[in-house]
Amino acid sequence: MAIEFDRSIIGSEFDRTVFDPVTAEEAREYAAASTESSAAEGVTSPTFVVRLRGRRFMPANLPDLGRMGFDAGKDIEFGVAVRVGDVLTAVSTVHDIYEKTGRSGTMKFLVLRTTVTNQRAEQVAVIDQKMMFR
Amino acid sequence: MILDLHTHSEASEDSRAPVETYLKWLQRKRDVLPIDGIVLTEHRQWNPAVDYRGLEDEYGLLILRGAEVETDYGHVLIYGVNDDIARRFDFANVRLPAQELIPAVARMGGIALPCHPGRPTIGLCEHYESKPPLDGVIAVEALNGGSRRGENERVQAVIDTYGYKAFGGSDSHLVSFIGICATEFDDEIRNVEGLVDRLRHGRYRPVDFRDRLKQGA
Amino acid sequence: MSQTVPVRFADVDVGHELCTLTLTLSGEQVKRYAVVARMPGGRFMGDDDARKEGLPGQIVPGNLSMALFSRLIAESFPGATLKRLGATFRGLVRPGYALLIRGVVTEKHSSDHGDFIECDLILESAEGDRWVTGTATVRLA
Repeated sequence: MAIEFDRSIIGSEFDRTVFDPVTAEEAREYAAASTESSAAEGVTSPTFVVRLRGRRFMPANLPDLGRMGFDAGKDIEFGVAVRVGDVLTAVSTVHDIYEKTGRSGTMKFLVLRTTVTNQRAEQVAVIDQKMMFR
Repeated sequence: MILDLHTHSEASEDSRAPVETYLKWLQRKRDVLPIDGIVLTEHRQWNPAVDYRGLEDEYGLLILRGAEVETDYGHVLIYGVNDDIARRFDFANVRLPAQELIPAVARMGGIALPCHPGRPTIGLCEHYESKPPLDGVIAVEALNGGSRRGENERVQAVIDTYGYKAFGGSDSHLVSFIGICATEFDDEIRNVEGLVDRLRHGRYRPVDFRDRLKQGA
Repeated sequence: MSQTVPVRFADVDVGHELCTLTLTLSGEQVKRYAVVARMPGGRFMGDDDARKEGLPGQIVPGNLSMALFSRLIAESFPGATLKRLGATFRGLVRPGYALLIRGVVTEKHSSDHGDFIECDLILESAEGDRWVTGTATVRLA
């Protein structure tokens, strides 16, 4: 049968973090390390948003899914570009929990959804991160 | 008639392929991928309400549906899913009892066939190394488009030992992988009942279009 | 070979192959990315730390694979805007091994918001093992 857990945690917010303003150095360092280019001067490269880690990385009331495993995948919907000086807010919720089997055995998956907005309340990104536990 | 018997649309959580985009791709690639239809075998689910007849008419391709479930002998494709089968087995259960599933599905009008049997952990071959062989297996997926090097190759020994028939499927999770491996049937198939019947009683073989695709690119 | 001028929507067709990136990431590059991307887990820092976690050696963060997909899009379609990027991490990507990053256009559509293409993306080993697969929605310039 499917994993048993309190389904009320689906959609529940477990973290809201406001980050310091994006600096030009952060944007440059990330672009160089990722080998991605940015669209224009003063604009970060697209996947810059994945480095936004909130104060709480996991919800506190998570069911026991096993030992942490690996990042299993990500889906990012991009909104307005991130610019140097932007103050970003990331709100994270539990999007889904499920189980499946693969080459490495039985795995449980946790999908977290993070919505990122800027200081003008414009949506910058929605990131669905899938984490695998076993 | 050539059908891709193992495909996933965006209804499967790890696929990113809309059904209609699959069909458009097959239309465009007709010269290298002579596929007459696909069977959507979504992971661990069955939605009786889904209807693709409109798309069938629009694109002139057969669209059938099945499911890929997970058992104690690896993954299994079920064709001919009906209300009885869906009520009897919880498709979200990743530990379905294969020896119970296969004959029960057959009694209820469907057919359950092990897929990617050469794959570690979730393929039949590895389970046969330590467990008794399953009763009632008619065919196995000898050619799976998502398998890694060596995984398809180790299936032949099981086919030879147990006399299983062989079929093929792309196991596509991306649009551009639809139809890369498929099954060629000697007879025409028009619906899922016909598919179940031909898988059980008909003549068919896996076909591999990957080299043709590379040459045609 | 990467493009240098914007690609016109009318010039892109379903089946259009993106330019191909061929590269080998060094351990230092991977470590540097992990630090900058705030992913300081031992598995990304070096072989010894990764083996303590039961891994065969240092691994490349999935986020860096996504960045490489983003780079592929940017080099294939200069001036375009990435609207959506998704990836499934199917296996361990290791530094020191040649990687091939490629893609193909699978759909194109227009709306009031612009001209868009959909792409399938693959990151694979030199032997053809597909370690990361993904898709992207791109608005052409």
